[in-house]
Amino acid sequence: MNAQGSASSPNSASSASSPSSTSSTSSTSSASSSSSPKHSPLPRRAILGGLLAAASVPALAACGGGITSLDGQGGGGGNGGGGSSANGVTIGTANFTENQILGYLYAAALGAAGVKTKVRPNLGTREILIPALKGGDIDLLPEYQGALLHYLSPKATATEEGAMQNALAVALPEGLQILPYGRAEDSDAFAVTRETAAEYGLASLADLKKQNGKLVIGAAPEVKKRVVGVVGLKEVYGVEFKEFKSLDSSGPLVKGALKKGDVDVANLFTTDTDIAAEGWVVLTDPKNLVPGQHVVPLIADRKADSAVRKALARLGGALTTEDLTELNRQVDKDKKDPEDVANAWAAAHGLVKKR
Amino acid sequence: MYELFKNLGSWLVAGEQWTGPDGIGHRIAEHLQYSLLATLVAAAIALPVGLLIGHTGRGAFVAINLASFGRALPTVGLVVLVFLAGGLSMTPVYVALVALAVPSIVTNTYAGMTAVDPEVKDAARGQGMRGHQVLLRVEIPLALPLIMTGLRLALIQVVATATIAAYVSFGGLGRYVFDGLAQRDLVQVLGGAVLVAAVAVVLDLALSGLQRVLFRHRRAAV
Repeated sequence: MNAQGSASSPNSASSASSPSSTSSTSSTSSASSSSSPKHSPLPRRAILGGLLAAASVPALAACGGGITSLDGQGGGGGNGGGGSSANGVTIGTANFTENQILGYLYAAALGAAGVKTKVRPNLGTREILIPALKGGDIDLLPEYQGALLHYLSPKATATEEGAMQNALAVALPEGLQILPYGRAEDSDAFAVTRETAAEYGLASLADLKKQNGKLVIGAAPEVKKRVVGVVGLKEVYGVEFKEFKSLDSSGPLVKGALKKGDVDVANLFTTDTDIAAEGWVVLTDPKNLVPGQHVVPLIADRKADSAVRKALARLGGALTTEDLTELNRQVDKDKKDPEDVANAWAAAHGLVKKR
Repeated sequence: MYELFKNLGSWLVAGEQWTGPDGIGHRIAEHLQYSLLATLVAAAIALPVGLLIGHTGRGAFVAINLASFGRALPTVGLVVLVFLAGGLSMTPVYVALVALAVPSIVTNTYAGMTAVDPEVKDAARGQGMRGHQVLLRVEIPLALPLIMTGLRLALIQVVATATIAAYVSFGGLGRYVFDGLAQRDLVQVLGGAVLVAAVAVVLDLALSGLQRVLFRHRRAAV
């Protein structure tokens, strides 16, 4: 924890010497992004400084680093070791619907366990979120096993849940840990229409080999070169497609093409609501080509106390892939608010906020 | 930055990059095919409309505004819309490209026609020319420079936009841009962009050369 504090300080210190030209922008962003009192010695402030410095906003970084610097870290150091959620937990989420819903679900579960929370939705991609988590701007993040492992160590080969959990524990940087993974999973899937499945006798990815050179696959352009894609299907299952059509990631193009029969096999996400709605068949993966993508909480050591662990484990055990798919549908198709949807699910599953 | 451009250089000159179905040669051919066909179809629609409203002077307000809808339509949105209605084929791409090309041709043709001196038209009529004779022998020849400008403008816009064919799985130079973005291969993205720009510039120069030759001939004939 202290190691991270000092890691972020050079960042802000170095920017202090650089000329400041954007002072007005930086002060407004500081006001909007932190609701804590101006001089509160939360470690978060220092890191916010570091983050903004990274985003080349030198003036505030200098100021943020100056106010809290190592003193602030020293105060935070009291939490070190076991970690404590007594000061509340800040949950960050990525820039897509499902991750935001998960963030609010985490908030609901923690709230029910008496932990104070704050959700900062829609922060961006892993490239922004992981540094923010390391720095202390956020404390907790809903993650996905396979994607997180690939981000941390691109050459990892584990695809099975337990193995990935172990690999993640090794790959995680100092100060961060993952908690037990939940039941819900949002992984890559290769789907065919019910008619195609019947016509060609397809149930698993291995069955595709019997139809080598006959089927057309539709997916996002990157899938052509990915292991979890054309490359892996050939290496692991010996599958060769007639043609690869570059479309989008589980979006209107690839789904439209599958529906109309322009492609036979489509690369979709398992929590896509249209899979059930259209009656599409997701091909099973007997050789574990596709890494598991169970939802897993990624948390800073400083906040990982037993109250938080238990609350999130309870949520993980209750939330299923079907639940998550349904919540996605309510937000994306019914245009409901992610927070309302998450709270409604939590209330229905006995996760009511303690007063 | 320097590194990027160095890599771009080697990407562009690599021999294997120019051959085969994924090669630059084939992609340029596809790109030209999409662009020329879309512009021809657009011209077949837009030229008669522009000439008609220019000749009669009627319906200009409606026609020009209607054509300008094409300019306002977001091309990618139009592609997705037609795709969802009709399925995976080149039709959505052609519809979007034609919609993009029609406005320039209609407005320039109309502008060329209205710029023809009314007294010249009167004189032509006074010599006993009929309506279609005035159109073919007086108005079109005089409006031709602006009509050609419209066609050139449309073609350049279409060449730059034909990259969207790759968005719905087809070829052309957009393949490099979309694949490069998806695979985080900046050199490929930049290479695709540079090639599109090069094709656009070369086509424009060729057309303006053609235009110059045509008008020199015309002047000599007069």
